[in-house]
Amino acid sequence: MTIAKKILANGMSEHEAIDLAKQGDAECFEALYGLHKRRVYSLCLRMVGNTAEAEDLTQEAFLQLYRKISTFRGESAFSTWLHRLAVNVVLMHLRKKGLPEVSLEETLEPQQEDGPKKDIGTRDNVLAGSIDRVNLERAIESLPPGYRIIFVLHDVEGYEHNEIAEMMGCSIGNSKSQLHKARMKLRDLLKLSRAEKAAARR
Amino acid sequence: MTCAELQKVLPYIIDGNGTEEEQAHLATCQVCSDLVADLRYIAECAKLLVPMEDPSPRVWDGIEKSLDREGLTKARRTF
Repeated sequence: MTIAKKILANGMSEHEAIDLAKQGDAECFEALYGLHKRRVYSLCLRMVGNTAEAEDLTQEAFLQLYRKISTFRGESAFSTWLHRLAVNVVLMHLRKKGLPEVSLEETLEPQQEDGPKKDIGTRDNVLAGSIDRVNLERAIESLPPGYRIIFVLHDVEGYEHNEIAEMMGCSIGNSKSQLHKARMKLRDLLKLSRAEKAAARR
Repeated sequence: MTCAELQKVLPYIIDGNGTEEEQAHLATCQVCSDLVADLRYIAECAKLLVPMEDPSPRVWDGIEKSLDREGLTKARRTF
């Protein structure tokens, strides 16, 4: 049995585990890791698109959690607090790497190439019903980093534009614009992937 | 309303309903309505992506070593 399960099986709530972790209880640290590792790792992996980096960032996020856990006052859910902390760890890492997150010069004006394409043809080209988890994950991974981060934060993780703007230091309009471009790019990638699959079957 | 005009407000209408004028254009333009349907579908599918993978055990090993090094934990309990 994992430590997390053992602690919960002993009737300890997450709230109690957090209180003990604040006092330095090693098992409770491990239990909190067990309860939240998958979600934090998935967030990191989707944001950076690379297993080794995602593992390093997961490690860093939990270390920061343990360093800061005494400041957790319970105003928000623990998972929300931890998640926000993990997002900040990833964004800090990307800033250090100098990767473009969101270009501040971006405006809401969509670029011509992002517009509706008139040569789309028949309704067979509509995506409805054709996306599965694997091809969507792959397409997200192929997005340019700036688009990927906004898309993951908004559409996958459910953050609002005002929260994203605050975390990324950009305007709300900028966040909306980047999200739109990310979805447009994903649409192209998903259509391409479907066309390739269809060609392979022929 | 033209396709180009709709395109300018597209980022705003995907997550909402759009104005009457925008809806009227979508009702008559297959290309734009397909585009809106696709973008909404992508957003819906993304909401269904759940965390699937656990990190490798070496992640916890690394955390544990750092915790010990920094003196953040006390002795282990016995169950």
